[in-house]
Amino acid sequence: MKSKLVLFLILVSFVVSGCASATKDQVVAESIASQKVSDPIEPLNRAIFSFNTVFDKVAVRPVAILYRGILPEFVRNRIAYSLDNLSMPVTTINNILQFEFGKAGVSTARFVINSTIGILGFFDPASYFGLEADYEDFGQTLAVWGVPTGPYIVLPFLGPSTPRDFTGLLSTSLIDPTYQVGNSTNRDLFRSYRMGVGVVNFRSENIEIFDDLQNNSIDYYAAVRSFYNQSRNSQVSDNLEVSPSINQDNLFNEFEEFDLDDNYIGPDVSISYPE
Amino acid sequence: MQIKKILILALFISSINSFALASFESEEKFVSNFADNAISILSNESLNASQKNIQFTELVMSSIDMNLISKFVLSKYWKLATDDQKKAYQVAFKQYFISSYANKLDQYSGEKVIIVSSNAAKKFVIVKSNIVRDGTDTLKIELDWRLLTRDGQTKIIDLSIEGISLIIAQREEFQSFLANNNNSLDALISKLNSINNKN
Repeated sequence: MKSKLVLFLILVSFVVSGCASATKDQVVAESIASQKVSDPIEPLNRAIFSFNTVFDKVAVRPVAILYRGILPEFVRNRIAYSLDNLSMPVTTINNILQFEFGKAGVSTARFVINSTIGILGFFDPASYFGLEADYEDFGQTLAVWGVPTGPYIVLPFLGPSTPRDFTGLLSTSLIDPTYQVGNSTNRDLFRSYRMGVGVVNFRSENIEIFDDLQNNSIDYYAAVRSFYNQSRNSQVSDNLEVSPSINQDNLFNEFEEFDLDDNYIGPDVSISYPE
Repeated sequence: MQIKKILILALFISSINSFALASFESEEKFVSNFADNAISILSNESLNASQKNIQFTELVMSSIDMNLISKFVLSKYWKLATDDQKKAYQVAFKQYFISSYANKLDQYSGEKVIIVSSNAAKKFVIVKSNIVRDGTDTLKIELDWRLLTRDGQTKIIDLSIEGISLIIAQREEFQSFLANNNNSLDALISKLNSINNKN
């Protein structure tokens, strides 16, 4: 209980400091600036990343392969839908905290329809009514409030994060309604299902992608760092209702620059194919 | 007077309509052709590995601006490189790029890319598309394609999956490798070649 109070105070201080100064323009500018990777503790991050990679290899990936091998696609899709459905209440809370009341209505309606007609969330009839899924976590809410993302950090077991996203992750247990339902056994069951199965489900959807990245990357650590930062930036762009590609547009601006002052056209490349 | 007003109104409405419909049809067609061809080559059981490689390479070279991409991901290091380094780098990068994209697109074999919309973004055109996950109607993956038309030729210059640009990721990866290897382009070239030889 005490730790929850501490968390709450951290949150409040974040909110107060964030709300005091942030405007949408500043947040957008900060989000663009953060395209420049901030990674001041890179050596430590790399060490933890290596540990996580080994942990994944011996513990998570084998379970994910087993999961995908044993369960038929139909069942895995039901689980994916039910995990999505369980994240709707916390999405609603975050919609409200972001002052997006229309979206809060959509996520509430999704949860009600899919939990009932959709049989405990295993099916997704809400999408047929035009209620498109949209997921919000507290890290994104902090971003909307103008809290800076902070440097890139790699957490043991949990993987890539930033101080803002980690705060968001910790606060989720405080504000997620599905964690407050029923007695403590129920809560633990819910939590284990969402965390445990959530991780395995995510990993099982990305087995080949991670294998390919690990085997064929020039710098696996930097690739994952870029994926994480880009993915979070794109979600936050959506929250701020700026074009999700605005950061990319700015980076690509110099795309042709290399052809302007450079007469080198490049060799007529030919590749030989080993039989 | 009345007729004039109606005419102006009609003109106004029709211009709104044409504005709303202003999409980039040729770019959309370009992307859907590329995606369909790529997936059909990669999932064609009657081709062996080297035939797949040859056909996929031809498709990529005709649709993707490899020359510009190779320079963009190297950024400032391109300008510092000698002509010999540039040549060795581009040969290595081309092969690396093609096998890396073949691996990434191979995940989607048997699925269909559905074009959603297109819009202008500075001098580029972005074509938005979806891949619907097998066995579902509503679990989607968003693929955004960035296209650039130069000298009357349209080429793909980036693919962004769920908001993650593969070319920007590639660029950060190369910059990070170079920063951690004494800014040595030769080290990058030999790393590329060692991965190419493995595949």
